[in-house]
Amino acid sequence: MNAARLIFDLAGAVAFVFAAVMVVHRNPIKSLLAIVVSFFALAAGFVLLSAPFLAAIQVIVYAGAILVLFLFVTMLLNLQTEEETADRRPFQKLFALVGIVALAAILLSDVRRSGEITGTSGQPPATGAVEPLARALFSQAALPFEAVSVLLLASLTGAYVLMRRERSGSAAP
Amino acid sequence: MSVPLTDVLVVSVALFALGLAGALLRRNAITIFLSIELMLNAANLAIVGFGAKVGGYQGQIVVFFAIVVAAAEAAVGLAIFVAVFRHHETIDVNKINLLKW
Amino acid sequence: MIPLWLLPLLPFAGFLLCGLLGRRLGKTFVTVCGVGSVALTTVLAYARLVPYAAGVFGGNAAPVVERYGSWIRAGNVAVDFAMRLDPLSALMLSFVTFVGLLIHVYSVGYMHAEEGYWRYFSYLNLFMFSMLTLVLGANFLILFVGWEGVGLCSYLLIAFDYQKESSARAGRKAFVANRVGDFGFLIGLFLILGLFGTLEFDRIFPAAAAAPGRFAPAMTAIALCLFVGACGKSAQLPLYVWLPDAMAGPTPVSALIHAATMVTAGVYVVARANVFFRLSPTAMAVVAIVGGATALFAAIIGTAQTDIKKVLAYSTISQLGYMFLACGVGAFVAGMFHVLTHAFFKALLFLGSGSVIHGMGGEQDMRRMGGLRRALPVTFWTFLAATLAIAGIPIWAGFFSKDEILGAVFARNPILWGIGFLAAGLTSFYMFRVVYLTFFGTFRGTEEEKRHLHESPPSMTIPLVILAVLSTAGGLVGLPALLGPRANLFHRFLDPIVPPITGGAALGRGAQVAELSRGTEIALIAASVGIALLGWIVARVCYSGDRAGTIPERFVRAFPGVHLLVSNKFYVDELYEAVIYRPFRRLSRMFWKVVDTLVIDGLINAGSFLVELSGDLLRFFTTGNVRNYALTFLLGIVALLAYLGWAPR
Repeated sequence: MNAARLIFDLAGAVAFVFAAVMVVHRNPIKSLLAIVVSFFALAAGFVLLSAPFLAAIQVIVYAGAILVLFLFVTMLLNLQTEEETADRRPFQKLFALVGIVALAAILLSDVRRSGEITGTSGQPPATGAVEPLARALFSQAALPFEAVSVLLLASLTGAYVLMRRERSGSAAP
Repeated sequence: MSVPLTDVLVVSVALFALGLAGALLRRNAITIFLSIELMLNAANLAIVGFGAKVGGYQGQIVVFFAIVVAAAEAAVGLAIFVAVFRHHETIDVNKINLLKW
Repeated sequence: MIPLWLLPLLPFAGFLLCGLLGRRLGKTFVTVCGVGSVALTTVLAYARLVPYAAGVFGGNAAPVVERYGSWIRAGNVAVDFAMRLDPLSALMLSFVTFVGLLIHVYSVGYMHAEEGYWRYFSYLNLFMFSMLTLVLGANFLILFVGWEGVGLCSYLLIAFDYQKESSARAGRKAFVANRVGDFGFLIGLFLILGLFGTLEFDRIFPAAAAAPGRFAPAMTAIALCLFVGACGKSAQLPLYVWLPDAMAGPTPVSALIHAATMVTAGVYVVARANVFFRLSPTAMAVVAIVGGATALFAAIIGTAQTDIKKVLAYSTISQLGYMFLACGVGAFVAGMFHVLTHAFFKALLFLGSGSVIHGMGGEQDMRRMGGLRRALPVTFWTFLAATLAIAGIPIWAGFFSKDEILGAVFARNPILWGIGFLAAGLTSFYMFRVVYLTFFGTFRGTEEEKRHLHESPPSMTIPLVILAVLSTAGGLVGLPALLGPRANLFHRFLDPIVPPITGGAALGRGAQVAELSRGTEIALIAASVGIALLGWIVARVCYSGDRAGTIPERFVRAFPGVHLLVSNKFYVDELYEAVIYRPFRRLSRMFWKVVDTLVIDGLINAGSFLVELSGDLLRFFTTGNVRNYALTFLLGIVALLAYLGWAPR
């Protein structure tokens, strides 16, 4: 048991707990805030896995932009607490639970064997430095990099078009 | 002195299962969406974990792109969500069933 | 040198012109195109025929075969577009074109008031095209094209007045009866193709003649199959039933198709394939017996008919029987001689009857005629000439051909001769009956009809006169051998088509025409003439003079059953109706109601029903509920992972 592992397990636990809060809580605002915390914890995990840049991205983009977007929309539409009416689909719930449990079981059973993985990519382990990552990103992954910018443009356009019909409402950014 | 892969994966699976449960068992559309994002993050975690174990920067690059794509998808998804909400005035997915026979 | 293919092509062009443009461009255009095409064909045909005939008489009877390219090349089967000019096809060509032309001219007058004038001539031209293709074809397939074509035109022309139910039905009956014959014909063609590997005349017949032992066993089957086709086309027992009904068509059609040309196609085929028949004594016997029986049977029925055209129809059937009888005893050339003379006098008889009907304003029942010789003199005299010819009175044409046939038959089988002899007497009797009922005595029709009586216009009477001359003098080309071997021009022309068959005296026995002694021949001639005159006298006694009609009446009263039987054509049509048509219709009904509606439609409907059903069931999966869909995803993924993860282990 080393320090890195310990802290990672802690962060994981925090992430899990707050994710659970998100799933359970009925107030959308509160769920949202819970998941923000969960993502922060994940960012900590990233750091421990020698991916500090990703951790920063996670906080800035994911928690900071995407979830804030969610927050804006939720507040804008004045979404209320979910109603208490009974969800009359017991079978669906049953099957869902069964499925989830099964999936988890399958995955965990594979996870137990993950210690046996020995392959390496032949490259030196990642350090916390950003420069090698940048190098790799802009050389090997140059095409996807450009492509993804087009994707962002497309999604921007799409979101705008979807919102255009309402004159009174404000468009999503 | 690094994190063993098993731990990483356990956390990943746990978060994924949570996300799945949220996506299937909640009626609130926003919550479902957030659960899906949770699943995405769980996957990202797993990939980074593998990357750390195996060496090199491939894992990080993949996750980088995954996050970008998730952002794009979130934007469009929310736009759709708003449009649907305006039409139905509810976010209960059980009630949004225009495709029903 | 005029190519042979031009000869059928001109009438075909006429068919197209009259058919496509005739309606719009008027009767004159149709006349010019319709008659002109045939006239041109006749001229061109004779331009080829005259030099060829000169060559044959000079000793060179080699057939001329013109090939125009290949039609079918499939594996071992090769059929060309080819036409053939040899004595047999030359003979057919000569009278088909000429008599056809005369009838076309006649039709101009007869059909001038007809609304469908353009349609009539286009069909008639199409018929000429088909008939010429039939006789000029150099192989069985081209022949068959013409064979089918004449059948089609026969149907079209019989049912010319298609608005009338009886005409339409008669047309259908003709076509179906022909089809039955065609079926046999086709089987024969297949057998020929299988046996010889080709359908070309100039390869099949020499091959069969040169190696009789090898081919003889199959000949019976092939010959009989071809004969079935001939029975259908030439109206022999039992497929003759369409010909009397075919009289529903316009009279010139009856003259051309059902007297002079189409019905002789069967005889043509038998003569063409004489090698086959001579190699099979069985087939020959069948042909002779069927021919003889038909001749007598039809003659009997003819004596009791009251419609002038029906008498002529049965007469045609009977005379065709004579032709087959001749072929059946090996006298193929004599049979063809009768084809020629019959074309003249039968066409004349029909056209004459048409003239009578025209003068009577459409009446065809002889019981309402009488004494017409004063009002229609040309018609009368020409009709009489034809009657003398058909009765076999010397020197009219029919005497020579019929006598030659009877002579040949007697040499082979006196019993068959007896049948033919009897039929000859009956022929004379019923034909003179027609003459006396129609042209002599007092007029039995209405006053209106009496005033309407008039001789026909020249467009109709001129062909009558021409045919009368031919009926009178036409027999002189076939003078009996009595007067010297070189006297018989006809035989000198046609003998080459009956080649000798090498080897095997046993086969030769049935194949050659037996010889008669001079004395026997003279005796037979005397007998033929005698019975012809007897028939005439009986007819005169019964139907002419002051006591006309009394003897027949007493006969009918004494033998009512016989009269009923004969005048109702021995109830053959009714028999066919009961034995063949009705069960067949019931079978068709069954196929319709049960097999088609229930089974086949049911199967298809069941298929669509199943699709609908499955759709209805699968519908329940489209709930519109997103969570259901997501759940399905999940379950699928779980299943997949389980399979991938655990199964291979």
